[in-house]
Amino acid sequence: MKKLWLIFAALVCWTAGGVFIQQWQTGTDRDTATPPMRIVSAAPNLTEILFALGLDDRIAAVTTNSNYPPAAMGKPKIGNFWHPDIEAVISAGPDLVLTLGFERQANLARRLERAGYNTLSLDIETIEQFYAAVERIGSVTDSEAAAAELLGRIKNRIAGPGTGAVQAKRLKVLLVIQRKPMRVVGRGTFVDEMIELAGGVNAVGPTLHKYPPIGAEQLVGSSPDVIIETADSGVDPSRQRAEALDYYRRFSDLPAVKTGRIYVISADSISRLGPRLHEGVEAIAGCLFFTGGNM
Amino acid sequence: MPIFYRREHVKTLLTPRKLILRTCVSLVLLAGVMAACTMIGSQPIQAAKMFDRQHGGRDYEIFVHVRVPRVFLAALVGAALASAGVVFQALLQNPLADPYILGISSGAGLGATIAASAGLDWTLWGRSPMAVCAFAGALATVWLVWWLGRLARGAGPTGLLLAGVVVNAFFGALIMFVTSLSGSRQVQTTIFWLMGNMTEETFPVLWISGGCIVASVAALYLLGPLLNAISFGRADARSLGINTSKVAMASFAIAAFVTAVAVSLSGLIGFVGLIVPHAVRLLVGPDHRQLLPISAAAGAMFLTAADTVARTAVAPAQLPVGVVTAIFGGPFFLLLLIRHAKKLWR
Amino acid sequence: MQAIEVDNLSFSYNKRPVLQNLSFEVFEGSFLAVIGPNGSGKTTLVNLLRGTLKAQSGSIRIDSVEVQQYRTGALARKIGVVPQEFVPAFGFSAVETVLMARTPFYSRSGFERESDRIAVEKALRQTETMEFADRSIASLSAGERQRVFIARALAQETPILLLDEPTSFLDLRHQVGIFDLLKSTQIKEGKTIVVVTHDINLAAQYCDNALLLGSPDGCRCGPRPEVLTRQLIEKVFKVSGFMGEVGEAAFFLPLGGLARDYKARAGY
Repeated sequence: MKKLWLIFAALVCWTAGGVFIQQWQTGTDRDTATPPMRIVSAAPNLTEILFALGLDDRIAAVTTNSNYPPAAMGKPKIGNFWHPDIEAVISAGPDLVLTLGFERQANLARRLERAGYNTLSLDIETIEQFYAAVERIGSVTDSEAAAAELLGRIKNRIAGPGTGAVQAKRLKVLLVIQRKPMRVVGRGTFVDEMIELAGGVNAVGPTLHKYPPIGAEQLVGSSPDVIIETADSGVDPSRQRAEALDYYRRFSDLPAVKTGRIYVISADSISRLGPRLHEGVEAIAGCLFFTGGNM
Repeated sequence: MPIFYRREHVKTLLTPRKLILRTCVSLVLLAGVMAACTMIGSQPIQAAKMFDRQHGGRDYEIFVHVRVPRVFLAALVGAALASAGVVFQALLQNPLADPYILGISSGAGLGATIAASAGLDWTLWGRSPMAVCAFAGALATVWLVWWLGRLARGAGPTGLLLAGVVVNAFFGALIMFVTSLSGSRQVQTTIFWLMGNMTEETFPVLWISGGCIVASVAALYLLGPLLNAISFGRADARSLGINTSKVAMASFAIAAFVTAVAVSLSGLIGFVGLIVPHAVRLLVGPDHRQLLPISAAAGAMFLTAADTVARTAVAPAQLPVGVVTAIFGGPFFLLLLIRHAKKLWR
Repeated sequence: MQAIEVDNLSFSYNKRPVLQNLSFEVFEGSFLAVIGPNGSGKTTLVNLLRGTLKAQSGSIRIDSVEVQQYRTGALARKIGVVPQEFVPAFGFSAVETVLMARTPFYSRSGFERESDRIAVEKALRQTETMEFADRSIASLSAGERQRVFIARALAQETPILLLDEPTSFLDLRHQVGIFDLLKSTQIKEGKTIVVVTHDINLAAQYCDNALLLGSPDGCRCGPRPEVLTRQLIEKVFKVSGFMGEVGEAAFFLPLGGLARDYKARAGY
């Protein structure tokens, strides 16, 4: 057993040695004076922001599902949103890497920082955070003017639909992102904010999950005035609307069913919190203030 | 001078010379595998270009910042899991034991899940909250299982195994409970982390965990002859004069510690701790004095190769390393078993 | 000089009494056979003597020191144990198994010394297990494995040998061989031998004293002719048979109702 203690002592010395050596090591210094010219974006909405700020020629690489604007699809890829490839990022030789703030992407950012790269992690979970992110990106890339202009434009367009709505008379909206099993948009999400901006209010109360699965009981209890379903691209909206009307008929007590206010909008418009967020607001507002028709 | 040492009768006995030779061969092979794997990845790099600062800066960056740390990490984790597997198989007298059987997996999982769900934000020496909580969870659970196993003292290794199974089941249920209450982002993060993943760790982390793992393997090697005797049974070993409770506790503690380090570094990677000891045992025999160093080297080689496959097979995405170890480990083991089936019954 | 002293030993498994107020002595250099029907506590006694079990009351003293007081290493230098036949989990070879007995004597590098090799070779020769020294013990027959375990106990070089049914799987030649071997270690090296066995007659040819367990009147321990009598055997084993003379020792042949010579049973 004595030999075991000897090994333990050696381990302690080794650890101490490691800590000592660490003091000697200096990190690589990266030039931070000039504005970044080779930017890597690790999320589709970050890519959209960069394009919207007119920085498309400074983008070095994007993720595979950065599909808007179409020009983004031609950029070199660094993997997808959930699986960014650090080697591809390094290959692109970036001087700035933009990531989102949640663990998986923050982890990538940390690893790149350790390797000596400049990274910027932004939380874009709410519309306020989105505005802050655009401003931040603007300041980091020396394009504050473009950022201010972009934000001005967006705020203008989303000011229209819902501002006139009287608080007390807001329609209750149930935004269904999946019918079977039923998942809806919950409180505290950016889509919920879009509903509010569009002049409505979420029929569902606060829940544990952001996009909760709900059962028939909760559906009836929420008593929505308007039901909006989302259709993926490639699905015929009018056909989905017909199926939806047919499906919800069994809940004959719902105000939405009684008035036939069941609509289908494109899933793309509300799937991303990016420069096109006004499209989502307009789509929802369209369902609230015009009766009938699809979006 | 005993006659039999000159005849063929004792091929199976381990001699210092055999041990040193076999260990050196394993280490050389390991070095070769590691070197080869640093040159393979989703981005092609060339050794010649690496040191050309003008044009090869990118290759050098990838090599130094991504490949080398990752290969070292895979080797360390593989060595840790394989050595722990050897020890647990000896202690439980069961060739089907693996390092996670006594609750380490669910304990680490619970720690990581709670850290992810609570949205903890701090880092400890550059390790994420999930890694630190997984380490703590693993050690706490192992202590719990050991204590429960001692309560069922009369049942021997079965008591310990049962305690492990019960704790795994209960903590597994807790993990599901916490997960069901978490937002989808945290759930996905937890699952990814638990499935086993390798990233590039910093120098201090590699240095310190490397030291821990090498020291643990060395300590376990010293316990080799005692583990040989314990694999026959506690009472049996005691009748030979071995202080089984001390040896069992020491080897269990070291094996659990090294597994907790491995899990905190890279999540739960299965198969390595189960089949590498098996395969090595088939090749060189059950003597723990050689099983430990050679399994450590073999585990390191296996996991390094598996990780290389994991990060290149479906590039730019990455397969979870645990998937690769299972897919390649299974048939490989079967092949080995068939070829050397006779050797098993030497 | 008593090698083993048992005084008022009692042991129960979960309130079921197995041994009650057992007292006997084993003199140094003597050969004791422990006989009794199944369930009489023979293996329990072995486990108590080797320290694996702790008695609820009474004492067991090896060389005047309580068994439970011994440190594991010290006890292993006094008693070598041959357990009942079992198949271990891992495929060590016979020679590796026997060599394990020398583990406490290994050098600092973790390998055996010359004296260990000599002891192992001697043990292998004595038990005639040299021919399969390199084979995995899992692949041996039960009898061959038994001999390997006996060799292991011999390699420990202890003054006392405790064997639990060492010949139950051996063929006649090896049964006799093992008992001859045990007797020779008693005679030549002065070892104290305690053997638990089913084979009364074989034991009778070799043992000095016998301990008969399982009798409702309490155990009987003493010189062999006093304990291995027809009345006692018939009473404890609940079987009748024929007691015959061979030379110095008698033999007992159990005869059932349909046995050919059932008429030869005493009392008929």
